[in-house]
Amino acid sequence: MSGKAEKTFIKGTGFGAMGINSHMAAVDVKDGKIVRIRPFHYDWKYQPQDFQPWKIEARGKVFRPPLKSIVSPFGLSYKKSIYSPNRILYPLKRSDWDPDGERNPQNRGKSKYVRISWDEALEIIIKEIKRIINTYGSFSIFAQADGHGETKVVHGPHGCHLRLLDLLGGCTLQIRNPDSWEGWYWGAKHVWGGEPFGLMPNPTNLYADIAWHTDMLLCWGCDPTTTTRGFGSGDMVSKWSYWCSDLGIKQIYICPDLNYSAAVHADKWIPVLPNTDAALQLAIAYQWISTGTYDKEYIATHTLGFEKFADYVLGHEDGIPKTPKWASAKTGVPSRIIKALAKLWASKRTTIMHGLGGPYIRGAYSHEPARLEVYLLAMQGLGKPGVHSFAVINRAVFGSEDHPAYPPSPGSIVNNPGPTVRAAYRGYSPFPFISLPKQFIPKTMVHDAILNGSFTIYGSSLQSTPANEQFIKYQYPAKDCQPIHMIWTCTPCLMTCWNDSNKIADAYRHPSIEFFMAQHPWLENDCLFADLILPVNTKFEEEDIADDTESMTFETIFFEERCIEPLGESKSDYEIVCMIAQKLGLLEAYTEGKSVSEWIKHGFDTCGVPAKGLITWDDFREKGYYVIPSDLNYENHPAGMYDFYKDPEKNPLTTPSGKLEFESAALALHFPGDKERPPVAHWVEKSDLHDERVSSKRALKYPLLCQSNHPRHRVHAQLDDLSWLREIPACKIKGPDGYLYEPVWIHTDEAAKRGIRNGDIVKVFNERGGVLCGAYVTERIMHGVAYVDHGARYDPIVPGELDRGGAINTITPHNITSKNAAGMATSGFLVEVEKTDLDELRRQYPAAFKRPSSPAGLCLDRVIE
Amino acid sequence: MSKYAMVIDINKCSGCYNCTLACKDEHCGHDYPGYSASQPMTGHFWMRLIERERGKYPKVKVAYTPIPCMQCSDAACIKAATDGAVYRREDGIVIIDPVKAKGQKQIVSACPYRAIYWNEELQLPQKCTFCAHLLDEGWKEPRCVELCPTGAIMFGDMEDKNSQVARTFASGEILHPEYELKDSVVYLNLPKKFIAGTLAYSDTDECAGNVLVTLSSVSQQQTAMTDNFGDFDFEGLADNIEYTVTIEAQGYKTRILKTKTITDVYLGVIKLAR
Repeated sequence: MSGKAEKTFIKGTGFGAMGINSHMAAVDVKDGKIVRIRPFHYDWKYQPQDFQPWKIEARGKVFRPPLKSIVSPFGLSYKKSIYSPNRILYPLKRSDWDPDGERNPQNRGKSKYVRISWDEALEIIIKEIKRIINTYGSFSIFAQADGHGETKVVHGPHGCHLRLLDLLGGCTLQIRNPDSWEGWYWGAKHVWGGEPFGLMPNPTNLYADIAWHTDMLLCWGCDPTTTTRGFGSGDMVSKWSYWCSDLGIKQIYICPDLNYSAAVHADKWIPVLPNTDAALQLAIAYQWISTGTYDKEYIATHTLGFEKFADYVLGHEDGIPKTPKWASAKTGVPSRIIKALAKLWASKRTTIMHGLGGPYIRGAYSHEPARLEVYLLAMQGLGKPGVHSFAVINRAVFGSEDHPAYPPSPGSIVNNPGPTVRAAYRGYSPFPFISLPKQFIPKTMVHDAILNGSFTIYGSSLQSTPANEQFIKYQYPAKDCQPIHMIWTCTPCLMTCWNDSNKIADAYRHPSIEFFMAQHPWLENDCLFADLILPVNTKFEEEDIADDTESMTFETIFFEERCIEPLGESKSDYEIVCMIAQKLGLLEAYTEGKSVSEWIKHGFDTCGVPAKGLITWDDFREKGYYVIPSDLNYENHPAGMYDFYKDPEKNPLTTPSGKLEFESAALALHFPGDKERPPVAHWVEKSDLHDERVSSKRALKYPLLCQSNHPRHRVHAQLDDLSWLREIPACKIKGPDGYLYEPVWIHTDEAAKRGIRNGDIVKVFNERGGVLCGAYVTERIMHGVAYVDHGARYDPIVPGELDRGGAINTITPHNITSKNAAGMATSGFLVEVEKTDLDELRRQYPAAFKRPSSPAGLCLDRVIE
Repeated sequence: MSKYAMVIDINKCSGCYNCTLACKDEHCGHDYPGYSASQPMTGHFWMRLIERERGKYPKVKVAYTPIPCMQCSDAACIKAATDGAVYRREDGIVIIDPVKAKGQKQIVSACPYRAIYWNEELQLPQKCTFCAHLLDEGWKEPRCVELCPTGAIMFGDMEDKNSQVARTFASGEILHPEYELKDSVVYLNLPKKFIAGTLAYSDTDECAGNVLVTLSSVSQQQTAMTDNFGDFDFEGLADNIEYTVTIEAQGYKTRILKTKTITDVYLGVIKLAR
């Protein structure tokens, strides 16, 4: 064959979902198959001057975006996902689940499946939905509808069923907690506002401002350039980090692991034990207060409650000065390094850089390091040019409602949302927050809701709610609502990404769950517990419209033509719900009378671009895309919190006082006795909810602190099956049985102590269960730490006890962030690692070890009867 | 006539693996008659990325080295092949003829870079072609170059004197000059060896910043001042050389340490005493 394609299509290949795309790609198709996926060239059908490429000039150097998209490793490997041996191609029914007889909930996770027709599947679904509603009411249907996934607009993917369930009277909604930025949401919000997410208010223009003014970047507690690979600004962040080095901006990485960003961008690595950052921060504050090296005037004019904080730091409150020596014992950072860091920071304009996720912000009491970070920034004049808290993922998390951190385009800047085709989006998004349903269950409490039948919490944990929502008390079951008896999921990933998921496995097998239905393209994770599984196609198999407002290159709207025919009997999430709606006589109401083509046109009509007269529908369809011209006056938009820095009285924050609150007035009012999240941030050694420090008695048995990052070689639970990525030596570790195990990083000395050699298959375990991993013995990790990324596909040896796939979240802490904060604490928990005897395990569990697998990992055949 | 070459800047490689993956996207499952047969779905790395850890905790660095076929002028594979199964085009690209090379396993072992892979199913040696099938259709660069997000892999025509490749090629290094193959792929900033250490004052629990450290060998001497954390780092040193590290902090005893660059060396925390 020749290299020439018959036709080239445009597709967004971001995996953020929620209708917010990124990573545009050109897709060459020939003979009905995808030949190649390559960068999309913005100047394909336009001249560069048509979209006014932006640039940043700083210190005599220039940073320009490339005129082509940067496709991620995941986008490049998309073919492996589309044609995966694990794709679900027809409806499946659990073989020992009989809706008219014995339902065998205890066998979920173990049962095999039989192929059924769409007609049979629909008949079961309609009957079950009607039965559940008639017996218990519609709120007994639990809808899991949130999270990342393929990015589609009209076709969902997540939450297409919510509109139908609304038409049926409403349902119990699963609430997605701020899983990758817990601390910001539960903590920092009470210091600086930063609604609704809790990150620094107004992150506009930070890429440029840092280049102009910052001397030093502290890359704290995560792997920032890895987080952005699957969605958001992608490897542009790495390109920009290299540019910062060219500009002479020092990059210090503070994290337990020399992660992938640190490996190539760090000028200095300061290892710190997982989830002990709060102690390090307190010691830095101690140094500054003791030596007077902080901005006293700023503290006086911009903040409230500093004295109480200083009292605590100096030991006036509890008799313990938070000295570098004190912190050293907790953090593993030598006291002289803490002193040097404090001194350097006080003398350099410093921005803290994050990519979310990681050991810093999703451990127990994560609100404390987040609040302390704001305190430290305030002590050095937060908002001053070059002094920010900078989350490189800003756009990715916040979509077009929020402000871009890089030069924005007209139509999307500052107060003006768009360009966005969101009006055509048929799935679920928590952004912007409108209201909460009558009954809901936070993702962090699904096991409690099902196994205990009730819970009480403060705050829904919904990512987009304002700070004062955290003080509202909620009960489950809600007034006039029954507990849940049916689960309908299109986002089956609790097993591999949420807290204590071995208990989730127990919950899914609970007899109160009478019907569990999943719709998904791949048989993975929670799908293994479903009674009925419906085949979903990939975005290459459907026609759609999209916008790319995240890629840190150019904002673009584009038409996504269908590239290939749907595989097998698969359909899009939206089409599946349409089929169910039709059987219920609700199709017209569900679709609002619009065909898919009409929804696409509606998305274009409302995206803001035609309204400005920038392009007509016919021209858009002919060219296939439109690049929104950059705003070349972006430099005039104040960067970060500059306005507040200049005049805090005229530009108040959304905190109760309008100032930065060292002592939170709201927390003091609502939770005055809270020892885990007191009004002024503290170090919390342990509490009734968590006992996960090296000082714990548990550490005698489980001496290692386990951490995770956003995974390098997949996107959370997604794409763990790309054979091309799984060949990367650090992605998976091949066992003597040929199985590709998830790596656990462990320091050379810790491995030697345990007789573990690089490549050995080991068990990572605690009281909550065990997970098999391949040992990655390295100098890139601290002593006393084990590092396993979340998201590896669950492959239970014993459901709820022992996993072979590397789903580390099966053994993460059960309890929420702290008593009054329903986040998750899935990093920084105690484990032990030991060498395992695979032969013995194979003898004990022959069935689990005989499941067919391939270079892509698990295959669908393994569950087919 | 064009003369293709590649320059790879190690200092810009972020280890994303896009180059390896782009190659697979282009070649797995796709025959390009006259250029290459389909690459097996897994197991071949026509553009291989080597990830290597350097140093000891906490002074650790990671070096990524992308390794394609070097498109050598004196290609060992050409000499090893019979029936003219491997040949070099006028533009410098070395092609393994996917028909004539069938069964010629000796071609694989001829390459000292191990850049040639054996396709068991097709009984064929295979390797990177610089995406010649695309260049011949007017593409400006191979897939791996187009997909490199940081611009670490540069490609171009040496005859075009203004091209980035033509301008930087001469300053590049051959990965293994000892093979004497006249490679068309060269590297910038290839990792050498480093000697690093951390200085601390034993009496004050402070980092010993701004201290003079002298590194000397038989043939050369260089100096550095420690940074705020007391760290020093001499990069770009040759292999297997004996070095003396002299540490002179005012008011403290001079320390003299001897080491050899068999590997990268981290001397650890050196406590200075009065």
